[in-house]
Amino acid sequence: MLGETTYRKPLYLIAVFNIMAYAFLFLSGDSYNWHIIALGTFVTLLICTVCLVIIKRNTGDEYLFLIISMLLSIGLLMISRLNKGLGIKQSIWVTVGITLFFLIYYAYIRVDKWEKFTHLYIFLPLVSYLVTLVFGKNINGAVNWISIGGFTFQPSELSKILFVFFLASYFKEPDALFLKDFRCSEKTKVVVNRLLLMFITYLNIGFLVIQRELGTAVLMFLVFLTLLYVFGRDLRTFFLNSVLIIPGIIASYVLFYHIRVRVEAWINPWTDITDKGYQISQSLFAIATGGFFGTGIGMGRPDMVPAVTTDFIFSAICEELGIFGGVAVVLLFMLFTYRGIKIILGVKNRFNKILGFGIVVMFGLQTFIIIGGVIKLIPLAGITLPFVSYGGSSLTTSFIALGIMQAISNPDIDEAGGEAYG
Amino acid sequence: MAENKRIIRVMIALCSLFFIIVVYLTFIQLFKSKSLMTNTYNRRQYKIEENTTRGNIYDRNGVLLAYNEKNGEQQERIYPFGSLYSHVIGYNSKVYGKSLIEAAYNNELLGINKYSQVFGMASSSNYPSRKGDSIYLSIDHELQSLGEELLQGKKGAVVAMDPKTGEVLALVSSPNFNPSSKELEKNWQSMVESRDAPFLSRATQGLYPPGSTFKILITAAAIEEGLENEVYSDKGSIVIDGREIRNSAGKAYGEIDLKKALAVSSNVVYAQLGVNIGMEGFGDIVQRTKFGKEIDFDIPVSASRFPYDSMSKTDLAEAAIGQGKVLVTPLHMAMLTSGIANGGVMMKPLLVKKLAGFDGKTNNDAKPGELSKIMPEDIAQKIQIMMQEAVVNGTGYNAAIQGINVAGKTGTAENDLSVEKKAKEHSWFVGFAPVEDPKIAVAVVIEYGGSGSETAAFIARDIIKKYLS
Repeated sequence: MLGETTYRKPLYLIAVFNIMAYAFLFLSGDSYNWHIIALGTFVTLLICTVCLVIIKRNTGDEYLFLIISMLLSIGLLMISRLNKGLGIKQSIWVTVGITLFFLIYYAYIRVDKWEKFTHLYIFLPLVSYLVTLVFGKNINGAVNWISIGGFTFQPSELSKILFVFFLASYFKEPDALFLKDFRCSEKTKVVVNRLLLMFITYLNIGFLVIQRELGTAVLMFLVFLTLLYVFGRDLRTFFLNSVLIIPGIIASYVLFYHIRVRVEAWINPWTDITDKGYQISQSLFAIATGGFFGTGIGMGRPDMVPAVTTDFIFSAICEELGIFGGVAVVLLFMLFTYRGIKIILGVKNRFNKILGFGIVVMFGLQTFIIIGGVIKLIPLAGITLPFVSYGGSSLTTSFIALGIMQAISNPDIDEAGGEAYG
Repeated sequence: MAENKRIIRVMIALCSLFFIIVVYLTFIQLFKSKSLMTNTYNRRQYKIEENTTRGNIYDRNGVLLAYNEKNGEQQERIYPFGSLYSHVIGYNSKVYGKSLIEAAYNNELLGINKYSQVFGMASSSNYPSRKGDSIYLSIDHELQSLGEELLQGKKGAVVAMDPKTGEVLALVSSPNFNPSSKELEKNWQSMVESRDAPFLSRATQGLYPPGSTFKILITAAAIEEGLENEVYSDKGSIVIDGREIRNSAGKAYGEIDLKKALAVSSNVVYAQLGVNIGMEGFGDIVQRTKFGKEIDFDIPVSASRFPYDSMSKTDLAEAAIGQGKVLVTPLHMAMLTSGIANGGVMMKPLLVKKLAGFDGKTNNDAKPGELSKIMPEDIAQKIQIMMQEAVVNGTGYNAAIQGINVAGKTGTAENDLSVEKKAKEHSWFVGFAPVEDPKIAVAVVIEYGGSGSETAAFIARDIIKKYLS
C-alpha cells in the first residue's frame, strides 16, 4: 500500500470535478433546481467517505475504487443532465451498489472455499434463464427481464459473474472438475471434462442468444476464450473453440433476423437511416457534433440519441464533453484494467487469481464491445457501459464484481492454493 | 511463470483494443465529422441554422442575389430576382431541404468549418447568433437577366462561358420557378406534376440530341484522320445500309470540301465522314471531350451520353450528324465550344468565383483549371475559321454582328415529336466571339424551336452582343 499522500490528490480532484460539474448544471438550467445541489453534495460525500473507509480500514487496493468513482461521477452527471429523475434513481442504485460492495467484500473474505459451490455456479444461471423465458417481461423486444414486486431485474447480469465463478472452479485444477471419483483413464477424464466445459458454456451462450442478449453472449464467449488461453492446460481447446465459433457466427447470422439487422446497420447505416440504421447514425451525429472539446454539459442535444442513458451513454459523453471526455473514459477503463492485472499477477491463491482475472477481462471487454458498438467500430451489441450507464441490475452486479476484486486485492487473505500448469 | 506471461499478453491486447477506440474516435472527428454534422437526418443543424445569418450570394460584379432577413425570430431567405436564379442558386427551405449552390455550399454559408469544429463551441446550439461566409458567383447578372428575357415563353437553356477561364457567365434554364420558401410550399405539388418540368435545370441536367452542332467534333476527328482536303459529292441525300440520310430540305450542294460542308451543314457529307472515321475515331474524340463522364462542377451536372458498345454503319452516320443515341447537356456543349475557342484546351467549368469570410478579411478565389485537351491547337484554329465561315457564309448568318467576328454552328435536332411531325425540331446554336481573341462562348437550345438559324442563333447573337458591348 502506497499510503495516503499519493492517494489524496486524485480524490481531491474527483471531489472538485463533481462540485464544479453540479454547480454548473445548477446554474446553467432554465430554473434553479435544488435537487441538483442535493444530488451533487450527496455523490461527492459518498465517494469521499467510501474512499476514506477503504484506506483507513486498510481493505485491499485503494486505487480500484478511486478509478471507478471517477467513472461513476461522469456517468451520474450525464444521467442527471439527461433526466433528473433518473439521476436521483441512479444515485439510489449507487448507494445500494456500494452497500453490496462492502457486504460482498466481507463475505468473500469470510467464506473459506468458494470453489465448493461449483454446482450453484452451473445451475443458478440455467434456472434463471428458464425463469426469465417463462415469466420474463418483454422490454424493447428482448425477453430478458423479470419483475419481482415492481422491481425489474435482468438475471443475465448476475449469470455473467456466476459464469466467471464456474470458470474459476474449473481452471483451478484444469480438466479435473467432473468425474473426480470415476474409475477411468486420465485421458478420458480430460476429454469428458473439456466437453462438459464447452457444453455448459455454449448452453449459457445459447440461452442468451435466444433472449436477444447478444452483447452478454459475445462477452461470455470472449471471457471463456481468454481464460482458456491463459489457464488451459494446453492450447488445443482454445484453438478448437476459436475455429468452432466461425460456423456458429454464420449460422446465427442466417438464423436470427435481429443479428442480421445489427450487422447490416453496422456495414451501412445510411441506406436505412430512418429504421435499422437510426440508432447508430444518431449516435455518430452526437459524437461528430461534440468535436474535440464538446459542446459543454447541458449545451448539446444528446436527447436526440435513442437509449442514451443506457447503451448509448458514451455518445452523450462525447457530444457534451468532446472526444477528450470520451477518451478520458476509455483511459479510465484502461487504467482499471492495468491496475486489476497488476493485482492479479501478485495473487497466489489460484481460484482467486482466475476469478479476479476473469472479472477484469470481463469489464475490459464489455467496455470495448459497447463503446466500439456506439462508434460503429464493430457491430452494435446492446450491453451497458459498466459503472457509467443507467440501470440497477448492471450497476449492482458491477459493484458485486468490484467487491470481489477488492477482496482478492487484500494480501491478507491470499494463501497459496490450487495448481498451475504450463 | 508462463501463466503470468500470458496474463500480461492479454492485458496488452485489451489496452490495444482501447487504443484502437481512441484512434477511431479521432479518425471520426478529423475526417467524418463534417459530413455527419451536415447530414440531412442530423436534426442538430436546424438548431445551428436558426442562430446563423446565412451568407449572402453575389454575382461577379457584386450584385446581391440572395440574402437573409430576420422576420421576428425566424430567418427568411430572400431572392430579390425571384425565379431568375432558381436553377443556379436553388432554394433553401425547411420543408424541402436545399438545392444547388444553397446545398453544395451549405457549410460555407453557415460558417461551419474545421476551425469551429476544433474549438467546439461553434457547434453548440446555444451559441449566440453567427454569420456565414458570402459567395461571389462568376455569373454576370445583366447577361443572366437578358438570357431569361430572351427565353421568355420558351423552353430551353442559355449557357455563356469565358472560354479562357471556364467561368460561367450565364446559366439560364426555362421554365423556372420562384425559390422563396413561401412560394415553394404553395406551388410544390403543382410544379412537381407540371408537364413543363420547371424543376428541371435544363442548362445542366437537360439531355438533348446535339444535332448538327456535334459536327464541330466530327470535323476535328476528320482532320486528325487526314480527311481535311477531300472533296465530297453531295446529291442532297445518301443511303447508308438502307437508311436514307437527307440534307435539310433535301438541298444538293454538288462537289464540296470540308469547310463548305460545315458551313452549309451537309448531312450527306458528315454521314460519310462518320463512316470513314469509324468507331475508333468516335471513341477517341468522345473520350477526350468527356462524354459519359461526370463533370465536376459546383452544382450537379448530368453526364452527356454516347452509349454505343458497337456501331453499325448506320449508327456511325447518324451519330456524325448528332442524332441516334447521342445526348448532350447545354453546359457541356458550351464547354466544348469554349475548348475550340481556347485552342483545343477545355477548361473546368466554374460557377463560384470567390468565397468571402463574413469579417471581410478571408477570401478564397477559385482558380481556373484545365479539364481536358480535346484537340491539337492547329486543328482547333482550323475549326475556328470554319465556324466563322458558317456564320459569314452559312447557316449561322442570323448570329452575325456588325463589327464583331462571330464563329458558330447551328443545329436542328430531330426529336420524338418532330419525327412524328407533331412538333418542330430542337433549335441549337453554339458559338464564340470575337474569333481573334475569344471572350465569350455560348450554347443555346430551344426545345421544339425549329431550325438552329431560325431561333437559337438570334438569342446567341443578342447574348454575345450584350457581353462585348
